[in-house]
This record gives sequence, structure tokens and C-alpha cells, in this order.
Amino acid sequence: MSKEKLSSQEIIDIVALKASVSKRASEEFLKVMISTIEEALMSGDSVKIKNFGTFKLHWNEPRKSVNVQTGEDIILAGYYKVNFTPDNNLRDLINEPFGHLEAVQIGRDTPVQIEPIQKETETMDPLRTLNEQASEIKDILAEIMNLQSNHQTAELQNDIQEVVVENINETSEEIPHQVHEEKIQIPDYEFQVEEVEIKEEPKSEVFSPKSVVEEQKEEHVEIPVIVIEETVEELNTEETFVPTFVPRKNKKKTGWLVLIICIIVLLGAGTSIFYLYPPAKRMIISFGNNVSNSTTDLTKSVSQLFVAKPKKLDVPVTVVIPKDTSAVDTIEEEDIPPVDSLQLLFDSPRNYTEIIATETTHSGSRLTNLAKKYYGLKDFWVYIYEANREKVSDPNKIPSGTIIYIPKLDSRLIDKENQRCIDKAKELHDLYVKKIQKEE
Amino acid sequence: MNHKELIAAMAAKMNAPKSLVEDLLEKTVSTCNELLVEGKTIGFQSFGNFEVRKKEERLSVHPATQIRTLVPPKLVVNFKQSNILKDKLKELPHNE
Repeated sequence: MSKEKLSSQEIIDIVALKASVSKRASEEFLKVMISTIEEALMSGDSVKIKNFGTFKLHWNEPRKSVNVQTGEDIILAGYYKVNFTPDNNLRDLINEPFGHLEAVQIGRDTPVQIEPIQKETETMDPLRTLNEQASEIKDILAEIMNLQSNHQTAELQNDIQEVVVENINETSEEIPHQVHEEKIQIPDYEFQVEEVEIKEEPKSEVFSPKSVVEEQKEEHVEIPVIVIEETVEELNTEETFVPTFVPRKNKKKTGWLVLIICIIVLLGAGTSIFYLYPPAKRMIISFGNNVSNSTTDLTKSVSQLFVAKPKKLDVPVTVVIPKDTSAVDTIEEEDIPPVDSLQLLFDSPRNYTEIIATETTHSGSRLTNLAKKYYGLKDFWVYIYEANREKVSDPNKIPSGTIIYIPKLDSRLIDKENQRCIDKAKELHDLYVKKIQKEE
Repeated sequence: MNHKELIAAMAAKMNAPKSLVEDLLEKTVSTCNELLVEGKTIGFQSFGNFEVRKKEERLSVHPATQIRTLVPPKLVVNFKQSNILKDKLKELPHNE
């Protein structure tokens, strides 16, 4: 917009030329026009000129102000001011360059817009975590599969999936079943052999050949076993079926020895397995906690029923054991870096077949902004870069108009809550930045 | 005072026919408008300046409905009275 200023003399000249009148006449006309308007305004009237606008007097009220130098309050006197309101025609003519623009309604205040989105993400979160858990479990299973033969893992899958989904109630329902199985076994031992050593052997046979599956079972069956043995013992004390074999007291002693040894063996086997198979461990911890709750109830009820002293001594022992193992395990878990599904995910090559969206770049658009838009964190731009390798040679210099594909990523890979995901992305970031610098 | 009254008053002052005054006034107005559309400033001495100003785009929020509107930029004519006129107006007694 040129700030060229035209004086009244120039206006007079132009008007004189247009109206083909003398300049003097034109000048006189303009003077009269201004004086007439002034007079009209002085008399308090407004003046309207067709196609031009309206002149109006406006009274500005006196107002308080402060003398900047002295700080004194001063009152600015009220004064009249001539307001000019352009005619609609003139207004439209002047605004022609921007005439095509219209006011755009953006909607309500931003918080109102954001709230529903947040709600959606909130509702999505538990679902997503469930899915993540499920996929993690699958990965763990895959790892175990590598270590074991197929038919055993099939059992494992069933067991683990059941246990994960089930609540404590359901697990407690399971326990009686297992208890029955054990019940059948234990009397057999006792009837077959009375010696301690031979009793251990069948037990150890149960453990060692069968692998993680069995051990997991035994970990939480462990305590029920003891309880049952107690019941068996009590049956003995009542002299219902054992008296023919052995005198009561001897039976008791050997029975308790067997019990203690069994517990020790079980514990030893369990802990050793924990060390050997860290991924499987976690599952067991959760079982252990659940089962310990339910089993404490069982043991309590048992202890209430029977008054024999050695049993009472045993009961606290059995309660303590699972707690100890779980405590040890949690500590281990913190120490050992998780060699789990996430790491596998990081290491596995990413393929970008599914595409969420496409973006056409323009000047000023950056991959980081796209990552922020689609993944919620700008650090994940590396994955977009990986998906668009062929088109984008330098992520810092994307030619305008390039069509960028936004790949669909595993939600675990772009979990902005997880520090490891961010670290992984940063690692990739460093990798690519170095590569680009080398090329330069 | 509307357009016709203005012409009548001016014709009386100039001792000229209304038609001539009307014609001259129309020519003056059209000239001014053209110049303003070109973005030029017109200054009438002893009266004031006519100037085109650009108002930048802005975001307005409706206080009751909270609806936010992006108001586009626009050009407006602005009139600023001259000091001579201002001094004249100062002598005008304020009676309200």
C-alpha cells in the first residue's frame, strides 16, 4: 500500500478536469463543501454524503491520566471528534482485496474440543494394555516353545492362558482338582514305601523330567500338597487305615520327615527353575500370590480342625514359603534387564505394510511434526523415516510436495509412557543422523 | 443533514444551480473513492485526512456461546481530523 498523500489542490485539479470546469470553480466548490460540512457539524448535525459516508461529531469524555514526569494526576479535558463512517459501497470497494475472505467459525473453546478425545483415549487404554499383555504372553510362550517339545508347550499354553484370564476365585476352584490328583498319589507313596529316600525319588521323578509346565503347576500346588499330606497324617492318627502297617508314633515321625524333605525338594526345584527360566518366572509369581492367599485359608481351616502340635509348626512354614520365593523373584526381576517380548520387538525387522495416512509435505513440514501428530511423540519420527526411505534421502531436507506414508506401528513400539520405547527411538535417531553425516 | 440538504445548502452558498453542485459533488466523491481504492491518502487542509488502514486478522470469542471465530483481515477507510478542525471544535461548548 503506497502511502502517497494527495493534497486538496490535487483533488481540485482532478475534479476540474473531470467536470470540465475551471480550477477556480472547482476550488471554490471544495472550500464551500468543507465549510458547509463543518458548519453542519458545529451545529451538532451529522452530514451524510451519498456513496461516500457519514460525518458525525462524537464527544470524548474527559478522563484521568498521570503526568509521566511528575506522577501527578491530571484530567484530560473532553473534546469533540469528527467520526467518519464510510458508506457501504465505499467500504466494499476499499476492502476488495480481502473481500473473498469470510469469518471462519473454529468452534467452541478448545478445552471443550479436547475433552471427548481424552475420554476416548482413557477408555482405550485398558483395552490396549490387555492386548499388550496378551501379546506379551504370546511372546513368552514362543520363547518357551523354543526350549521345549511341542506337546508339552501345548499344555502350557492352555494352562497359562487359563490362569491369566481367571480370577482368584477360579484359581481356587482349580486347586481342589489338583488336590484330588495329589491325594491319589500320596497315599500310594505311603503304602508302597515307608522309607524316606524312596519317597523322595518318585517326587523328584515328577519334577525333573517334566519341565516348566509341571514346575509351574507344582509351584502353586505345592502348598495344597502339604495340606493334603496333613489330612493323610490325620487319617493315620485316627488309625483308620494305617495301623496294620506301622506303629503310630513311628509313622508320625517318618511322615513328618518326609513332609519336610518334600517341601525342601519342592522349594529347591522351584527356585532353581526360577533362575533358569526368567520369563516363566513372572507368571509363577502371580500364581504364587494368588494361591498363597487361598492356601493360607486352607491351612488355617486345617489347623483349626487338628490340634496336633507338629502340624501347627508346619502351617506357618508353609505360609511363609511362597512369600519368600515371590519376594526373591521380584528382586531378581528388577535386577535382570527384561529379555522379553519388547526387546524381541525392537530387534525384529519392522515392515511397513499397513499405512494409516498419507501426508503431502509443504514448506515447513517436518517428520517430527508428523510423528507428533500421529504417534503422539516427536521422537518416533524415525519409523516414518524408515517407511519412506526410498523417497526421503535426508530427513532434514524433504522436497516440498513429497507424499509421506505414515505407517501403522505396533502400539507397544510407540508407547510414549515407556522409557524404553523412547530410548529405542532415540537410538535409531542417532543411527540415522550419523549415517547422514557420514554421507555428507 | 443528508445528501440533498447538503447540496441545497452548498448551492445557496455558491449561488449556483443545484444540478451543478450535485454534479461536482458526485465527481469529487468518485475521485476520492478511486484514489482511496488505490490506497492513497487524501488530505483536505483545514479538515482532515482520509486514509486506508489494514486491520489484521484476529480471533474473536463469542462471550455467550464461546464460539470462536477467525475474523479475516480487512481494509478500512479511516478519517482523522486536522488540528485546525480540532481547535475549532474545542471552542464548541459541550452541552448535554
